[in-house]
Amino acid sequence: MRRAGPREDSVASAASSGPSGRTVAVIAVVLAAVTAGSAADALGLSPLRHFYLLPVLWAALAGGARWGGLTGLIAGLLQALVVLPGIEWFGFGPESLDGLLSMITPLSFGLLVGRLVDESRARDIRLRAVLDLQRSLNRDLALEDRLRLAAEQVRVALGAIRVSLVIGDAVESAIVVTAPVALDFDHGSAAAWTLCTGRAIYADDLHGDGRFAPCSGDGPFPVRGLVLPIESGSGRLGVLAVERAKGFSWAMRDGARQMAVHLALGVENARLTLRQRHFADELEAKVAEATDRLADLDRAKSEFVSVVAHELRTPLTALQGFSELLLARAVPPERASRFVRHLHTEAQRLGRIVGELLDLSRIESGGTLVLHREAIDVNELLERNAELFAAQHRDHRFEWTPCLGVPALEADRDAVDRMLKNLISNAVKYSPGGGRVALTAGPSDDHADMLELAVEDDGVGIAARDLPRIFDKYVRITSPETAMVRGLGLGLALVRTLAEAHGGMVEVESLPGKGSRFRVLLPV
Amino acid sequence: MPEPWPAVVRAGIAVMAACSAGLLVQALGRGWLSSVGHALASAAVHGGLLAIGWIVAVGHPPRWRKGALWLAGILALASVASRFTPWGSLLYLALPILFLRAGARHAALRWVGVGLPAELRPVALGLAAGAFLGAHLLVSASMTLGYGIRIVNPGQYLAAAAYDLGANALSAEWLFRGALFSHWWRRWEFWPAASASTGLVVLRYLLDPALPGTIEVRAGAVFYMTLLGFCSCALRASSGSLLPGYLATTAFFLAYRMLIQ
Repeated sequence: MRRAGPREDSVASAASSGPSGRTVAVIAVVLAAVTAGSAADALGLSPLRHFYLLPVLWAALAGGARWGGLTGLIAGLLQALVVLPGIEWFGFGPESLDGLLSMITPLSFGLLVGRLVDESRARDIRLRAVLDLQRSLNRDLALEDRLRLAAEQVRVALGAIRVSLVIGDAVESAIVVTAPVALDFDHGSAAAWTLCTGRAIYADDLHGDGRFAPCSGDGPFPVRGLVLPIESGSGRLGVLAVERAKGFSWAMRDGARQMAVHLALGVENARLTLRQRHFADELEAKVAEATDRLADLDRAKSEFVSVVAHELRTPLTALQGFSELLLARAVPPERASRFVRHLHTEAQRLGRIVGELLDLSRIESGGTLVLHREAIDVNELLERNAELFAAQHRDHRFEWTPCLGVPALEADRDAVDRMLKNLISNAVKYSPGGGRVALTAGPSDDHADMLELAVEDDGVGIAARDLPRIFDKYVRITSPETAMVRGLGLGLALVRTLAEAHGGMVEVESLPGKGSRFRVLLPV
Repeated sequence: MPEPWPAVVRAGIAVMAACSAGLLVQALGRGWLSSVGHALASAAVHGGLLAIGWIVAVGHPPRWRKGALWLAGILALASVASRFTPWGSLLYLALPILFLRAGARHAALRWVGVGLPAELRPVALGLAAGAFLGAHLLVSASMTLGYGIRIVNPGQYLAAAAYDLGANALSAEWLFRGALFSHWWRRWEFWPAASASTGLVVLRYLLDPALPGTIEVRAGAVFYMTLLGFCSCALRASSGSLLPGYLATTAFFLAYRMLIQ
């Protein structure tokens, strides 16, 4: 039953461009033309009797098949008033045949010319609509705004009462735009059905179609629905749903299909452009971040040089001073012995600084650390360090409980010792008011086959924003409470390097004002 | 909406029974009784057409029965009254008013086109189309078949005009364009729906015992009712209202009533 009518709107705009307000004028001209034609016929001026075709031609050119056909029908009916009595009176002869042909000619002429006019108009409108669609979809707007413009253009081009564009592969996550704007998208609608199944639908009356939820229109006109999947080479992108009163001609359906194809291209292009823009923004942000990081690093390096100079100068000044005293005058043995102890302590300090600088040099050069792996008793190592630091820092309370289930660790003893010393030293330094420093060792709960050495304190803690960079070289996080803390900013970088050299890692959890917990995880 | 056809069949049987009863009374009765029988048969046919249209348009029996029976009652009263005095035909004029009131009250009737169109242009077009076809009929019949054109008895002419307004054109427009065309147009395209509806209109007039039996008249009836049917369907489809088609049909029949043999 779904045949296209002889000329049911080729495209809405083509049909609506008819001489709507000129109907009476057309009829008057037809009457005049036919009268003139009949008069010419009666007078024997046979070439002029086809004068009635002129208004039919005009109506067909101006209004297409609908108005051409109507004018032709009126012209034919008027001819009948002359032709039929002639047949009745004089019988059927060659003139009667001529008269009957004259009756039929205007109708067929009007329909034929009108149809050609409609087709050419419809093609013109379709091409223009497709160009407009491409322009809208390429505008520098958000995808949703571009789609809104496109939906409105499809609505105008097809003379639809409503057009919905659903972009996405699932009803819940799809972008839905409608023209005119509607607030809701019914999950039981024909558009949702096509989105799920990927099949095109033509419904004679969406309102009365039991398969779908009723649509908005419930007037004296059926609401025809055409729902097409929008597909590109990469798959289904969404759905184009067009609701129209009074039906779709085949030309209109073809037009809608073409628009769906162009929508697919446009949506694909728009998505690609947006993705490129997003990528460029991301890249720009990353470059800016890297630049900031480099600037930070440069600043840290400058500070480092200044700190190193200061750190070297302090023991050197002491060494120089005490050695000059010993050389310049005779010093009592007890005093000389004290001076020598000072000299020894400062030399040790200098040695530590030089050692750290050497480590730094090794890290900087990217060379691998040579590890001397041996079986280590972790409990013994922790106990010794706890006792050592407890003896030096009386204000702090060192907690250590030997763990019986600790597996044997194959690692470089010096490296593990230095990691522990660095972490404990940091815990002490960043707990300026004293407090608890807890040392624990045992199998890791969250990393299989890893041994965990943890150092926990109740110190000043570290802000979340600083956590990502505390293991970087030269970085020292300072606060008013820890402004007096000295160091090169290499301790944690060294801990990480040593842990990674063992195939392990180091992690930190910290809350400002509550303390920190560093975990060294080493494979067993 | 459930399919209305079982109810239509039941209503059709009831109409045929009522019509047969009327015709029986007409055949057996004498004088005024015969007139009443004829009036009842005529009222049964038009009431039946209106009731079937109501069923197709509205659907469920509880929603159509009251309105349809009410209209059929008035139709029967008008039909009987018109047999005794031409002024009785004025009762027919109540029917279009009742229809307009029903259209304003029931949303389902607006769905089939009972209501005024949004603009005046289709109304003017309907009147022009009906007047054109009517004029064409008059000229064609007078020139070709030798029919005369005049109003012999103004009273009878007005009675016939009232009958056309309240029963003939109203039932045709209501059933064939309002109910059936609207029903099919929601399922098919325009042309199949208009063809089916127009085919039934032509059949209804060919079966009308009031139509003269000559071949020329029957051919003319087919020709003009086909044109009028398509024209009314187009007007209903473009305006969303039955009024332009109703006016076209009325204008045509007003011209037709002027023909005398």
